[in-house]
Amino acid sequence: MKKFLALLLALVMVVSLGSFGTVAYADDEITLDVIICQYGPNTNEWFLGKGMDGSNFVEKFEAANPGIKLNLDVVSWNDVYTEVDTRIANNNAPDILNIDVFANYANEGLLLPVKDYCPDDLFADFFPSFIDQSIIDDTCWAVPDLASARALFYNVDILNEVGVEVPTTWAELQDVSQAIIDYYDGEIYPWGIDMTTDEGQAAFAYYTWGNGGGFVDANGDWAVNSPENVEAINFAISLVNDGYTNPNPATQTRYDLQDMFAAGKLAMVIAPNQLPTYVADKGGEINMATAGIPANEGKTGSSVGVMDRVMAFKDESAPDQEARNEAIGKFLEFFYRPENYVGWVSMEGFLPAVNSAVEALVEADPSFGAWLDVLGSCQFYPAAKAEWAQVRQGVTTVEQEALIGGDIQAGLDALQAEVAG
Amino acid sequence: MRSPEMKSQNRRALLFLLLGLALALILMSLPLFSFEAQVYTKKSANTFVGDEKYVAAKAEAEAVAEEYRAQGFSVSLSEDVLERVNSKGKTTSLVTFTLSQSYGKNLFSLLGQGFAASKLTAALLLCLGLSAALAAAGLVGSGDLLPRYLDGRSRALRGAACVTALLALLLVPVILMMNTYAFSRQMGLHNAGLLEEGRALFFSRMDRLLFDGQMGENIEQVLSGLKYHCSGLAWLLLPAICIILLSAIQIRFGAIKGTLLRGLLYFFVVVVCLVTLYPYYVMLITAFRSNAETLDMYFLHMFPTKWIWSNLTDIVRRGVPRYLLNSLFVAGGATAIAMLCGIPAAYAMARMQFKGKKAFLGFVIMSQMFSPVVLLIGISQLMNTLHLNDSIVGLMLINAAFNQAFAVWLLRGTFVSISPEMEQAALIDGCGTMGALTRVLIPMAAPGIVTALIFVFINAWNEYTISTVLISTASNRPITVGITQFSSFNMIEWQYLFAASLLATIPVVILFMSIEKHLTAGLTSGGVKG
Amino acid sequence: MNTRLNRNKWEPYLWLLPSMLLIAVFVVFPILIVFKLSFSYISQGGVIGGFIGFQNYVDAVKLPAFKTVMLNTMWWVISVVGLSTLLGFIIAMVLNQKFRGRKIARSILVFPWATSLVIQASVWNYIIKYEYGNLNNVLLNLGIIQQAINWRSSYQIEFIWECAVGIFVTVPFVTFCVLSGLQSIDGSLYEAATMDGAGFWGKLRHVTLPMVRPSLTVSTVLNIIYVFNSFPIVYTMTKGAPAHKTDTMITYLYMLSFYERKKGPATALSVIGFLILCVCAGVYMIGVMRKEDEQ
Repeated sequence: MKKFLALLLALVMVVSLGSFGTVAYADDEITLDVIICQYGPNTNEWFLGKGMDGSNFVEKFEAANPGIKLNLDVVSWNDVYTEVDTRIANNNAPDILNIDVFANYANEGLLLPVKDYCPDDLFADFFPSFIDQSIIDDTCWAVPDLASARALFYNVDILNEVGVEVPTTWAELQDVSQAIIDYYDGEIYPWGIDMTTDEGQAAFAYYTWGNGGGFVDANGDWAVNSPENVEAINFAISLVNDGYTNPNPATQTRYDLQDMFAAGKLAMVIAPNQLPTYVADKGGEINMATAGIPANEGKTGSSVGVMDRVMAFKDESAPDQEARNEAIGKFLEFFYRPENYVGWVSMEGFLPAVNSAVEALVEADPSFGAWLDVLGSCQFYPAAKAEWAQVRQGVTTVEQEALIGGDIQAGLDALQAEVAG
Repeated sequence: MRSPEMKSQNRRALLFLLLGLALALILMSLPLFSFEAQVYTKKSANTFVGDEKYVAAKAEAEAVAEEYRAQGFSVSLSEDVLERVNSKGKTTSLVTFTLSQSYGKNLFSLLGQGFAASKLTAALLLCLGLSAALAAAGLVGSGDLLPRYLDGRSRALRGAACVTALLALLLVPVILMMNTYAFSRQMGLHNAGLLEEGRALFFSRMDRLLFDGQMGENIEQVLSGLKYHCSGLAWLLLPAICIILLSAIQIRFGAIKGTLLRGLLYFFVVVVCLVTLYPYYVMLITAFRSNAETLDMYFLHMFPTKWIWSNLTDIVRRGVPRYLLNSLFVAGGATAIAMLCGIPAAYAMARMQFKGKKAFLGFVIMSQMFSPVVLLIGISQLMNTLHLNDSIVGLMLINAAFNQAFAVWLLRGTFVSISPEMEQAALIDGCGTMGALTRVLIPMAAPGIVTALIFVFINAWNEYTISTVLISTASNRPITVGITQFSSFNMIEWQYLFAASLLATIPVVILFMSIEKHLTAGLTSGGVKG
Repeated sequence: MNTRLNRNKWEPYLWLLPSMLLIAVFVVFPILIVFKLSFSYISQGGVIGGFIGFQNYVDAVKLPAFKTVMLNTMWWVISVVGLSTLLGFIIAMVLNQKFRGRKIARSILVFPWATSLVIQASVWNYIIKYEYGNLNNVLLNLGIIQQAINWRSSYQIEFIWECAVGIFVTVPFVTFCVLSGLQSIDGSLYEAATMDGAGFWGKLRHVTLPMVRPSLTVSTVLNIIYVFNSFPIVYTMTKGAPAHKTDTMITYLYMLSFYERKKGPATALSVIGFLILCVCAGVYMIGVMRKEDEQ
């Protein structure tokens, strides 16, 4: 016993001593803290592993830019807000951050304006409509790094078997759903809805934009409680209550819906453009096609675009601001080089944000062209508004409450009062 | 010792046994399993009663019905019309024609049909017969003796009667489940074209069971709408066999209660163990599935069709060994620090009198009351100041601190329970306090120390939230943070997640099992003294 | 209690010093920061502003989900701690019997304790999925059910599942605490009770329970603290959906802080939780101290 204990303690000591090594940086080097979100199985490999022709982004960047070190972390979406916010609270914000929101950081004066660090020719390369989405009070605070467009995907075989056309209006959607339910005795879910905590805002967009409503009114002010919105959410909830959808929309995530679609258990789902790749990865052989998202009678639907951004934080403590800005610029310049950027975007099946990448992408996969057109007509979330983070969670909560019988009007009224007041 | 009482008791038991047997046989000959074969189904969408499409479909259905009747089947034709008015005011309709015939089958009709349940039914009958025969044979040998004076042969015969009866009891639910599986599920899967293997064989067996092999080539079509239902009466077989089992036990042991309690004990233990192991079974089989098979929406396979060992090499390539090593560093270091600080404190608490002792104990417990989740900002700020951000050492210190309370509490209890005489002797012999502690007390308190060690180690090994926030370099991630890369924005890779989880669990379980006996000993001394 | 003369009156404090320092620096300091934060303005992004009195507390209590979450937390703690104590006690009683395979059973029972909560929660989350979960797979393939069952058809049921997983991971700890207590019982006590004519229940009440009470109290108090502060199960399985109906306090304040970005009220809420726990543990501490003084 004594010997065993001594051995164990000794082991523990050796182990703990062994890990005490610290890394010292040379003085003339600039180290950039970078946080990247985990998009898929390849993200970590590409930035840190061997996913970039046997090398990775960090190694290549550091080789090309001596004097700049990258301290790059790939963080899962579940944890990224926690990590970033905690670091901000401790005045230890990352230098470069890749995330979806930016407005609250910009409004609190934490971000550097893009013009301070972004090379002019790179800035001119971004799609102008994308840049517009990141402007608050005429200043651009973040640049888009990738986008995806969402459209209606449907299982052609199922719809043909039942003998129905793909729906374009809400009423048709109800008819088609009922027909599918009748034909398959409920074995196949006609319509997929995802109102989970991470994606409820997307469901809000799909239905309210198809009813002439939305998060904001024509002036760009919050209008979450408009009658159109209430009607739209009521409609979405009625789909669930009529049994036309997957059974647990509050906890069945987008993955679950995509998996059901890939297995042929779901006839129609609104999904991002990566869906075909995803289905192929899962070994599914689904005869699928895309269509516009159904809208209410007499209204026009809109494709939904989702965009993530790269932004740079201020760091008053940096000894040489000029050099730091230049280093950030070099990071962006290197990241958006077609030979790097095309790999990054296509790796997870996203759509690009810069013109220079389009040609190569379309060449590699002709279907990209069609998606780029869709992207041109997309509406985006009002992410440039300061209260966006609250609204996003607020509408999700209202939807989830409605699923269990809550009052939609009252919920949206309360949210409107909170964010507009 | 002969006694007329025992004799009549044994006879009564044998009588009950035969009664149970008769009951079971009667139940087995009832048509417990009903099949409704929809020999033909025709669905016609957008069809209205009376229109062209309807007439055509109906004529077709009737022609088929005639065909079957000509072959001697007594099928009945039914039609089901589902009409709806759609949003544009247009009426739509779905017409379904079905030809169906019902069959009732008993357990005996399963015999010799080649299904798994057929063989099991034969085994069940064999067990029941054997049980009765053995019990009777055991009685004939020495029918009127008390069980404890039985000779070896009777003991063996009567014991065997009990075992065979128990086996029969266990076979019943298995057979019923097998039937459900074969007739309801496997058939559904065959029909959906999801199971290709053994398709022809399965269908020919079904043909023999239901139609005496007459259906021939049509069988596939016929079975596409088969509905199976098992009558609730089937479960009455269980009490019937219970009577047999209890009688056999009475004959073997004389008293039922003790044996039943023992059986119940084993049953309980087995159930608890199975439930406990279940998630680990899930981890294991999912870890070796292919990506597509993790999402088996038709529930085709309980086990991977092909064990994908490359899942393991994939996670190794994606950094899991490095993360495991980091976790080992963190947990090992945290344990060492917690012990180095905790042992002296616990020693002082156990052996010395001083002011503020209770306050210290209170302080220690208070320190446990905040979840690390809510202390994130404070911890992160502290680590910035100490320049321990993103370092494994920082994680060690944090984990050691958050487990101090348990370590001190437990060690104090252990020390208190050990008599101080030995140390006092050592002190008198000229050892310092330090010497008395290291040479006398620590070896004696080894079980308690091991316990505390394990607790701290496991808590540190499993810590997740603080590491997420503090660690920003990939090569410093502990395993709990490392596995988050398998659940990303685009998909969850269940197979990698569980393979890595399994790897993360194994070391701790081995450590735990090798030290389990010290664990209970240690908890005793710590626990009892509060 | 045995004592020996201290060489000087500072010596005990010297022995306590390392432990004190460790706790003070790495636990108490962050706690103090949280207290300070709960009286400060915190922006959505996390920037810390000035002192605003009790505003955060007022906001926290006014939150629409406050009541639901408090009730949930109560149910969560009571059901998980209560049922796992009961189950753990029964299992320990059984494992204390002599039977073949006892060692193996004990080793198996240790598994859930040795597995990280994040992993446990992910596995159970996968198990009870409706469309492809393993529970449906196993039951269908064994022929126990004929149709896949939606195991999480309402939020009440999901919450029950979460509690069940909580119980699953807590039971081993209780079992081993009780088992240690049971092993320390002298067999002669039972013999004496049998002589007095006590039956199974009598022995349980008059011998077993009093003897294992100390270990039960230890495990219960630690469990109350751990279960109250438990985060990964709820977060992994439902994230509190729908609309915080399955949130407990810890997951709720996490969502509040990092999703809804109401960081001030979230911090206030964490202090409120701390105070609740303090009261519970304080009552216990006083009880234990009194008993020790009596000895």
